Amino acid sequence: MGDVVITGIGLVTPLGRSPAEVLTRIAAGQVAFQPSPLGTVLACPSVGQVNDFDAQQHYPDNKTLRLMNRDAEMAVVAARLAVEDACLTLDQDYPADEIGLFGATGLSGMPVEEIARLVEHAAAADGSLDLRQFGEVALKRVRPVLSFKILANMPICFVSIFEGLCGPNAVYTPWEGQAAQAIAAGIRAVRRGDVPCALVGGCDVKTHSLALVSLQQLGAFDSWMRHGRGTVPSEGAAFLVLEDEARAIQRSARIYARICHYAFRSVTNGGLSEAVTEMLSGMPISRCPGVISAGDGDVPVSAAEIAALERSGIEPSLVLRPKAHLGNTFAAAAAVQVGLAAAVASQARCPAVLANCLGFGSEQGCFVLEAV
Amino acid sequence: MTRVVVTGMGIACPLGIGREAFWSSLIAGRSGIGPITLFDASSFPVRFGGEVKGFRPEPIVARFPEAAGSRDRKLLLALAAAEQAIADAALAESALRDGLLCVGVGLESLCLEDLTAHTHADNLGQALAQATLTRYPGPLLQTPLDRTATVLGNRYGFLAGRYTNCSACAAGTQVLGEAWQMLCEGQAAVAVAGAADSMLNPLGLGGFSVLRVLSEENDRPQQACRPFDATRQGTVLGEGAAFLVLETLDHAIGRGASVYAEMLGYGSSLDAFAASDPDPSGRGAVRSMRRAIRSSGLEPCRIDCVNAHATGTPKNDAVETAAIKEVLGRRAYEIPVHAVKSMTGHLIAASGAVEAVAAALCITRRTVPPTINLHVVDPACDLDYVPGEAREFRGDVVLSNSFGFGGQNATAVFGRFPMSEPHTSRTESR
Repeated sequence: MGDVVITGIGLVTPLGRSPAEVLTRIAAGQVAFQPSPLGTVLACPSVGQVNDFDAQQHYPDNKTLRLMNRDAEMAVVAARLAVEDACLTLDQDYPADEIGLFGATGLSGMPVEEIARLVEHAAAADGSLDLRQFGEVALKRVRPVLSFKILANMPICFVSIFEGLCGPNAVYTPWEGQAAQAIAAGIRAVRRGDVPCALVGGCDVKTHSLALVSLQQLGAFDSWMRHGRGTVPSEGAAFLVLEDEARAIQRSARIYARICHYAFRSVTNGGLSEAVTEMLSGMPISRCPGVISAGDGDVPVSAAEIAALERSGIEPSLVLRPKAHLGNTFAAAAAVQVGLAAAVASQARCPAVLANCLGFGSEQGCFVLEAV
Repeated sequence: MTRVVVTGMGIACPLGIGREAFWSSLIAGRSGIGPITLFDASSFPVRFGGEVKGFRPEPIVARFPEAAGSRDRKLLLALAAAEQAIADAALAESALRDGLLCVGVGLESLCLEDLTAHTHADNLGQALAQATLTRYPGPLLQTPLDRTATVLGNRYGFLAGRYTNCSACAAGTQVLGEAWQMLCEGQAAVAVAGAADSMLNPLGLGGFSVLRVLSEENDRPQQACRPFDATRQGTVLGEGAAFLVLETLDHAIGRGASVYAEMLGYGSSLDAFAASDPDPSGRGAVRSMRRAIRSSGLEPCRIDCVNAHATGTPKNDAVETAAIKEVLGRRAYEIPVHAVKSMTGHLIAASGAVEAVAAALCITRRTVPPTINLHVVDPACDLDYVPGEAREFRGDVVLSNSFGFGGQNATAVFGRFPMSEPHTSRTESR
């Protein structure tokens, strides 16, 4: 069972597209928030948007882009950046079927305006759904691409198509904890020897109306209502190239960090603090001088994390809170957290870094990375 | 080496609710397809599907109050199937607390009814937000796909991890494979793994209709899904759920559990070809089957039956047939290959789990289910597809395929417990 290292990081975030760029902006105190497209109707007034993103800049004339939502477009770009960062050449370094792909996606990435186009011809005079009109009129005006935009696995499948990856795979959904599970699935696949290399990550767009309304309904903005501050939904994608350490050395890859431990815990009936404490208590984190905190402004999440860290006896010299600067990218957040932890570890400032992937949803995860 | 066995099963699908109802319909070759009654589909190009008939959500809601008011049918079907599986395995709740939960799901629930009232608003998003805050305090606009895992987790624990997999048509097999891998690795002793889906709603049926992958033979729904038949025109959408209890062999023996079958292997792959169409070369399917067989420690000649993905679409069945022949060689011509979907329709995310139940029962009951509606054999499909009638199964090992939209493929291998002769089950596939 070999060690697993990170050799490539690809980011599409409101604060930049490389770990160095994002870390520099975080260090400078930059915040990428802007007013929510819904104004102040909902409890959360801000979002974090990637303003200058155009997938066609990376893939000009690619017709497949027309099948894709914004989350999928971000996924294929982040995956490409990760593969380039790792200087990985398919079929030269590894055969296509020896690279695994484990990713996460969020709630439907289809903008509400696009769904509205589907139902606008199916609205009865009283505003109800007229199924007869839906079948006779609306469906005839729908482009076949609809299905590719509503199936939750498609962003990760597009990554496989764009990168030519044919190995073991899985797609998880819909929050940060499940995205952390995707990273762990990649780690396990490499450790088992199923594959020497895996691309892991996630994508999410939580800046459009449907996503914002759903987050409010699900309680993700409760902290805003109770405490006047909370999570700022954001958008982005992040992918990491994981490799068996011996194979990475063999091909002279640049190694960011080794993933030495990870742990998960499920929240049962709202017991977030207990779950986080139990999870971190089983991890060798007291020797981690660096922490990539999950803190995103949500008061219960921050309180749970701080209490768990205090109980663990950790005294970090460096604590970064990326979500306080770029927002919460939910299904992309775990790969952002772990990618930044790897970059920090590689800078030799912190020989070991804890990356917390905590927050909304029942699954909570954390990773310990160490410099190589 | 850790070995993993199947000790419980639960199912709700177009062929029936419960293991025995499902199995008796399956081996009798009864179709579960019929006109859609869940909503008014009379103006849709496709007006039939595989509904779970006679499903009563009330007992489920009584047991899981969190599910009350849910408009997400797959959540209710999943809870019903999972409860059956847990009861079938006679597992103590304490065993589930530290267990794994792996749930496969498809399309998230999105109620179009909530949108139509606002389609002419100047700012749809703001109108929707206002309405959500004032008029829709109850039902969610979107039900997140991890809802089943959350509800089951709150009831039973599953503290070793709750996984929600959304790998489309491959999800049902992937969750079983992931559970098998994690049990082999020692992450838990018990896993409840399965999948649920219901595309029989306006958005699901409409979306697949415009993709032109569905049969439109509205005048003969029970004959519409014809895997391997030369006249096949497309698949038929269905709904359902199935869950299996997987246990390490030591744990099962330790508590005196009854064993249906052993899970021997698992593999997955990607086509990396196109969003909608399978790779015509079948390479993705070949990789998936080879990985699964390799992980089982068996030689391809030990495969005794294939539970095919077999959707009844013109492209899938010929590609799958060629892939089976490439993987199994001459053995492919010696063994039965059957299509559960000829009777259930395509249950999308749930299909792999439902077909795993069929595979385990095929082994236990020594009977291969038939492929119905196969009358004019496609020359490109030249294997033994068990047309029309079930037959005795004399083998030990069944390979079960699931190939999904987007090019995700997954294969599981199940075997008789104990096998006719010893084999080596390995957690590593290389």
